[in-house]
Amino acid sequence: MNPSIKLLLLLVIALEISFTMIISLNVALVVLAIIYLGLHGTKLKTLAWLLVVPLLPAIGLWSTQYINGSGDKTLMAWVLFTRIYAFVFTGATFTLTTNILQLADALEQNWHLPSKFAYGVLAAYNLVPKIQHEVKVIRAAGLMRGQQLSFWSPQLYFKAILVSINWSQNLAQAMASHGFVEDAPRTHYRHSAVHARDWIILGLGIIGMQIGVFVIPWH
Amino acid sequence: MKWAKSWYLSDVILIALIGIFFGAIFMGTNYVYDVLTAALAPVGLAGLANELLLGLWCMPGMLAGYLLRLKGSATLGELLAATVEMFFGGQWGISTLISGVLQGFGSELGYIATRYKHYDWLGLTASAITTTLVTFAWDLAKNGYFKLQFWLLVLYFIVRFISMFFFGGVLTKLITDLLDRSHVLKSTHNN
Repeated sequence: MNPSIKLLLLLVIALEISFTMIISLNVALVVLAIIYLGLHGTKLKTLAWLLVVPLLPAIGLWSTQYINGSGDKTLMAWVLFTRIYAFVFTGATFTLTTNILQLADALEQNWHLPSKFAYGVLAAYNLVPKIQHEVKVIRAAGLMRGQQLSFWSPQLYFKAILVSINWSQNLAQAMASHGFVEDAPRTHYRHSAVHARDWIILGLGIIGMQIGVFVIPWH
Repeated sequence: MKWAKSWYLSDVILIALIGIFFGAIFMGTNYVYDVLTAALAPVGLAGLANELLLGLWCMPGMLAGYLLRLKGSATLGELLAATVEMFFGGQWGISTLISGVLQGFGSELGYIATRYKHYDWLGLTASAITTTLVTFAWDLAKNGYFKLQFWLLVLYFIVRFISMFFFGGVLTKLITDLLDRSHVLKSTHNN
């Protein structure tokens, strides 16, 4: 499925469950997402991990409503508890089956996102391991001078930004030297297309969501 | 896409790199959030952990807006940070993207209100206020805040603004002062 259409459908779903209070709908979405992930060969271990990740915020939201809510406290507590699971599992149907390269291709080729945004972000994204390493280097360098750099130290962010400025210029020059011209028309090695099938799935998904919200009595 | 013309490739990479850098730093703060949430959940105040740290998570947007001074830089900076967070398996799944856009646009509103001219305390304070308002409105729905008792809403709102002002305002100002003193900012937009 085209990544951009898939993302659009998921965003519609996320927005809609943010404004509805139907526990069974949230649960149904989680079940559907698990089936989808299962069909795509997601490991059980990953699915179990997805159950653990949002547990703490979910309990936090649950207890806040249960103790300090108003009106039907129990209902709202469980709505929020299941809602965050719905967010995480529907999100996982995207992040575990699609990579950021496919998304960038789709946004550039199907939605006319200027190529400098698509490739600029990709260039940065591919530096993630190096960035994680660099944060450690900055912290270690601080420690060598007896400076403890924690997350509220301006120095830590300052040094990170200096590195970012440096790398961004190097990368931009490297890309330009390999023939990347901003705002110039491009040919594509990887093709991304929106098929009729994608629109049908999007339409069915949105209609199905409305049926779930307005038509089916969930009680 | 007129606004896109004023962006250079290096700006896009810079803003994405900053988002990822901040994300990498924030990952080290997850334990603060987890400990606070676990400690406050039994008394039904777990949201405070979120409120206290939200300013930190909104900082990439405010800083990007301040740093690049281009239309859309605050929104894009925060959105990119959120995208990266989602791909790394954040605790909020797909809603991370919606929150990212809203947080970024909230920060952007502050700069829009000051007509992209006030890169000082006025602009930063305006940005902190608008970010607080926009994100709070979203949490009324998403996190079910509209069902909470009124005193708790007021408490959350005040704590959130303080967090926004501290991280997005004071810390951003301290960081950008360091950048100003090092004279690296002017060179970023001339290549």
